[in-house]
Amino acid sequence: MQDQELRFRFTGTGSEYFRIWIVNLVLTLLTLGIYSAWAKVRRVQYFYRNTQLNESGFDYHGSAIAILKGRLIAIALFAAYSITFRLNPLLGLVIGLFIALIMPYLLVTSFRFRLYNSSYRGLRFCFAGSVKSAYYAFLALPIFTVLTLYLLAPFTHQRIKAYQHNNSRFGQSKFSFNAGTGGFYKIYIISFLQLLLIVGLFGFGVYSVLKDIAKSMPKQELVGFIVIAYLLLILASLLIVPYFVSRIQNLIWNHTALGEHRLNSTLSVPGLAWVIFSNFIFIVITLGLFKPFADIRLARYRIEHLALLPAGNLDDFIASEQQQTNAAGMETAEIFDIDIGF
Amino acid sequence: MNTVSAKYYDGKSAQQQSVVLRIADGLLQIQAGSLLREAPLSSVNISSKLGNTPRLLKFADGGHCEVQDHATFEALLKAAGVQPQSLLSRLEHGWHHALAATLLALVFVLASFYWGLPWVADIAAARIPARIALSIDTRVLETFDNGLMQASKLSVVRQQYLTRRFASLKKTDALPPPQLKFRNSKNIGANAFALPGGTIVVTDQLVALAGNDEEILAVLAHERGHVSERHPLRQILQSSVVGLAMTWYLGDISSLLAAAPTVLLETSYSRNFERRADQYSAKMLLLNKISPTRLADILEKLESSHAEKNVTQHPSSKLAELFSSHPDTTERIKELRNFTAQ
Repeated sequence: MQDQELRFRFTGTGSEYFRIWIVNLVLTLLTLGIYSAWAKVRRVQYFYRNTQLNESGFDYHGSAIAILKGRLIAIALFAAYSITFRLNPLLGLVIGLFIALIMPYLLVTSFRFRLYNSSYRGLRFCFAGSVKSAYYAFLALPIFTVLTLYLLAPFTHQRIKAYQHNNSRFGQSKFSFNAGTGGFYKIYIISFLQLLLIVGLFGFGVYSVLKDIAKSMPKQELVGFIVIAYLLLILASLLIVPYFVSRIQNLIWNHTALGEHRLNSTLSVPGLAWVIFSNFIFIVITLGLFKPFADIRLARYRIEHLALLPAGNLDDFIASEQQQTNAAGMETAEIFDIDIGF
Repeated sequence: MNTVSAKYYDGKSAQQQSVVLRIADGLLQIQAGSLLREAPLSSVNISSKLGNTPRLLKFADGGHCEVQDHATFEALLKAAGVQPQSLLSRLEHGWHHALAATLLALVFVLASFYWGLPWVADIAAARIPARIALSIDTRVLETFDNGLMQASKLSVVRQQYLTRRFASLKKTDALPPPQLKFRNSKNIGANAFALPGGTIVVTDQLVALAGNDEEILAVLAHERGHVSERHPLRQILQSSVVGLAMTWYLGDISSLLAAAPTVLLETSYSRNFERRADQYSAKMLLLNKISPTRLADILEKLESSHAEKNVTQHPSSKLAELFSSHPDTTERIKELRNFTAQ
């Protein structure tokens, strides 16, 4: 038994990634978006290969053509929905329902694609979740969540993560997930209380200012004041994001294991808040040119606060049967990637 | 030096092996003390250089090598008669390329915004069937009638008189007479606007503000100019595309902030459109022996009646009035007065 923790390291730099990003951007613009699939492969490869664990990097093998297909499908679905919804809301609703019905299936193919195309030390990851369970996690539970006025949201979140992590594999080793719903509820409730507090304080502040001077204020100044107060409120609410993101990510990764190896995530709220806010400010000041640097900073912060607690020799992982028998790729023709962020 | 050190993974286990690479007679040889394996260089997939990440050499059976020493490896490739870096890697390497790419991207974005987008929106607007454009009118009117506007307080006789009088004017094009809708709205004030399907909405407040009927006709002719050039439809298309692009570009920040620039940009479209509609109105008025100064007169009244509002605004740009400036209307009034002089 080793108990020396192995920290993930991130070796990418903003200046290097900026040059990759800008070339990607220009080629994407010049090809009217088609190159974006190839750009994605290069971007993901840059981040994966710069993510190091125990002196080895990760790698990404996604095929740009498959990504392009996935994007075209996603665009077609979105366009069909938004256009028909404007012209004929009923037909739009039918198409919306159709999209909701196939979404879990698309998500499963997308997870399979992403994990199968990720590797570490030459061994592939893979996703073995069933389509049936996906319908439970991505269709049934979200519907219940809405019906219960989001009281079920933390529970759904927990089930989705359990579905994703319990069905992930690295070579022949399985990932497992053992966070209960309690932890999720706690983070959701505290975030919600923070939101209430901020909205309440702002509401009170605005009310007390307006109570006295509203009548004497010209109409347009009043509108301007309300707009500014609203923007400040949004900014203040953004303070909740670093809390929520860091606590959820810590919860998830601290309860995820790969075989006997456990993981340890130590994101701090002030640390993440600083990265997010400074990124935001610099992106606005540079009209977006800081974006690649911001991506690198955020990735570095998240990755370098993750560590593996090995319970044995990392060399002992072996490839799955599937990978050995069919190194060319499993169901490559059937799987494609759709970018759905979580 | 005709060798480079590398790490080798067999693709079956996570085991890492330190090896030495050599290229001889078109064969790639991997040595770990003794010869481990060799393969024709042409059968090995060598990844293109991506920043400072290791180059990957993938064999057909799933094994691969990682090379971190770029300079030595490139020298080996060169000696073997292989192009050491792909075009893409070379583009991504130099800062002068990055600078050129930044400028190119900027030029591309500006060019598509100023020329490409209006051009495409114009073509697309022409292809949208009248039936669909009319259905948008119905829905927009429904929304307005839900609170923002009330039924007109003008007598039916007065409404019919104005409608007939406008329909009887000589026209500069073959457009059918527009549907006029009279509405009472204290919120919107004196105003008239054209909807995508050609419906023109006139508020009671505008009719009341006009010193004589020729001024009302001048405004109607101006709105007809918008319809004739499909401005409302083009504006909707343009702002949706700009909105989409902004959301994509600023996606990580917040869609709220993405909306602000869109609104700002929208007004600059409107200004160009306003000028075109003014010219259309002036021509149509002259054709009917009415002086274009009538439009200038009512513009002035509108300007003083609600100082911060433009004479015509489109339903999609409610916020735009906050940002539109006075000199612009002054300029338009001057142009209209000069139109008479010509």
